[in-house]
Amino acid sequence: MVAQQPGLDDVFHALAHPARREMLRQLSRGERNLTELAEPLDMSFPAASKHVRVLERARLVRRRVEGRSHICRIEGEPMAKAVEWMEAFRRIWEPNFARLDALLDELKQEPETGDR
Amino acid sequence: MSMSGTFHVEPRGDLEIFITRRFDASRKLVWDAMTKPELIRRWLYAPEGWEMTVCEGSVEVGGTFKWAWNGPDGEPALEITGVNKEVVVPERLVHTEVMKMWGPGLPPEGMELGELLATLVLSENDGRTTMSMTLAFASKEARDGALASGMAEGMSAGYLTLDAMLEGSSGR
Repeated sequence: MVAQQPGLDDVFHALAHPARREMLRQLSRGERNLTELAEPLDMSFPAASKHVRVLERARLVRRRVEGRSHICRIEGEPMAKAVEWMEAFRRIWEPNFARLDALLDELKQEPETGDR
Repeated sequence: MSMSGTFHVEPRGDLEIFITRRFDASRKLVWDAMTKPELIRRWLYAPEGWEMTVCEGSVEVGGTFKWAWNGPDGEPALEITGVNKEVVVPERLVHTEVMKMWGPGLPPEGMELGELLATLVLSENDGRTTMSMTLAFASKEARDGALASGMAEGMSAGYLTLDAMLEGSSGR
């Protein structure tokens, strides 16, 4: 039942957890093994592995096993897709909010109108 | 960085998007600007270059609203309609939203995106107002539809950085 393409829902689900965002932050600086990812989060190996599995499902991270080491690396594309989405959202809305700022400044100068 | 410019967008759970923005004005003014049609049309242009052609509605429970825009080519591009579910002046507004879009690659009668529930909360502190908005999509299809419309805006991936987004969404 698992879709071939990771949906944006997988990506958002993966990004919704602070521990997984921290892992991605680490991985954005280069490859890390699971122990290195688990350590700053004060997490057990199995717990970290579980989070990495969620990141893998969203195709945000790829893991390979070398000997005893599980080495993780970040995958750019789904991440870029999610980032683009949020950036697009911000790009559309921010000019509106900037105009709203200006309107609010104007309204502050006006005396209270009599309406309820 | 100016406090009034702080604008965060982040995913929350699987189907929700959470937005916050601070405004340098009282809650009453922000509420008016966001709910009175004659004020809404002075700032809510959707993307730059679009023209708002319809802006009407009444802010009461069960009241409906309709906003519509023409694109830069002068043709209908976007329509948002909805029904108010909860109204607590001047702090909380919950309404449904259905978006309909027209454009290249879309059917001539337009394409309707699934319904979402928008919850607006205004809180005031020291004369400043923090707006938070939760957009809860009814289905993954609806959210992916919103994704498609966002992507269609033709953003360039060039200036986006992973770090910026992660900083923006770490919310702690």
